[in-house]
Amino acid sequence: MTLAGGAERGRAYRCEGLTLRKASIGEADLVVTVFTAEYGKVRAVGKGARRSSSRLVGHLEPLTLARMSMARGRELDIVSQAEVLDGFASIKADLDMMTRGLYVAELLDGFGPEDSPSPALFRLAVNVLRVLPNAADPESPLRYFEFHLLRLTGMLPELYNCVECRREVEPDSHRFSVNLGGVLCPDCRPLEAQVRPLSLRAMKVLRLLHRGSLAEVSALKLNPSLSLELKSVLSGAVRYWLGRETRSNAFLERLRVDTAT
Amino acid sequence: MTPDNLPSAFPSLARLVQELNRLPGIGPKSAQRLAYHIIRLPDEEAYALAEAVTAVKRNTVYCGECQNLAESSPCQVCGDHRRIRSIICVVEEPLDVLALERTRSYRGLYHVLHGVISPINGIGPDQLKLRELLERLADPEITELVVATNPTMEGEATAMYIQRQLGRDDLKLTRLARGLPVGGSLEHTDETTLIRAFQGRQEL
Repeated sequence: MTLAGGAERGRAYRCEGLTLRKASIGEADLVVTVFTAEYGKVRAVGKGARRSSSRLVGHLEPLTLARMSMARGRELDIVSQAEVLDGFASIKADLDMMTRGLYVAELLDGFGPEDSPSPALFRLAVNVLRVLPNAADPESPLRYFEFHLLRLTGMLPELYNCVECRREVEPDSHRFSVNLGGVLCPDCRPLEAQVRPLSLRAMKVLRLLHRGSLAEVSALKLNPSLSLELKSVLSGAVRYWLGRETRSNAFLERLRVDTAT
Repeated sequence: MTPDNLPSAFPSLARLVQELNRLPGIGPKSAQRLAYHIIRLPDEEAYALAEAVTAVKRNTVYCGECQNLAESSPCQVCGDHRRIRSIICVVEEPLDVLALERTRSYRGLYHVLHGVISPINGIGPDQLKLRELLERLADPEITELVVATNPTMEGEATAMYIQRQLGRDDLKLTRLARGLPVGGSLEHTDETTLIRAFQGRQEL
């Protein structure tokens, strides 16, 4: 089988992979879902990886970037060696931060293609995980991730021209439609559109997410109502395309409510 | 889900295969092998197996204190007056209690959560026996809580969640040490474990 635009995976291959999730199978094995630059999403078995004496133990935890040697299997590949490159320890030291990291992993799992090279998406995820603990507002890198995840998977939100009549939208008179994929001018009212208002400030931040660098976005400290508006727009878009609520986002919300009460 | 190659004229065998096939780690082939093995067993052995399954279901209860599976409530550990009643060790699963009991070095009480918080699998605090733990901790006699969830990301998430939910400042909260396994090697140890092992080094 030839991979779309990429090198064919040999019987044995090496890759850098970000572990997204793991599940136990058999007596002491793990099935891990790993996101790689070269091959997209890969599912592989870590034989005996649940034993504390296994050479793989600790190297296949979720949210761990590792250099891996894999053997091609019939259904699932097999992890023959793994060595941690970045364990994202500061993300895992805090429950809210860990849940945000898992949100990144859950979206990669949901949107990431299998058997298809995805170097840009891989770099995006790793970079976002790296800046997350030190960001001025940890929600900002998540919005950056959502925005560029949509862009890289072909669902870039249109922010400049009305998605219906294609005219350039005037400042402060726009609305946003998740299912039509971008902004709408005041004159267009397509029947099928799910429309929500979009403040001018939110629009500006969305354009910064589009044009700005991750470093610029990570320095942003947004006021709570603007932060909530952006979350509602972008997490809403992600949820729409994914077709379900993300579990980690629901858990993050639960933590927020727990802290508030 | 009846396996195709079993004759429909043998419905009781098909049913047994189907039931065995539901067990974790048992695929359709193993289920058939086990079913034929059971058929060939002497009657009393086969009935003893059936009786054991029935009895374990009939006699098992959750211990009202530690939530472990037991034949009585309170369970043997909670009912044992020689145990130290001021320490509770919280674990994920009943099998973890067995593992710790085998060490014969812990003499306190347990609390079994029956799972672990896993945001990515949609398992939240409400699906665990966490509320019961917090109720037990309201007792001022309890002075230490040892969090012995696994050193995995979910285990850590659960430990951090418990820490947040504790309403008592006077309770000593501890976590099992993380470090090198006996028989392991530095070369193959991941960086997080090595850092933890270094932080937890002890005087010789």
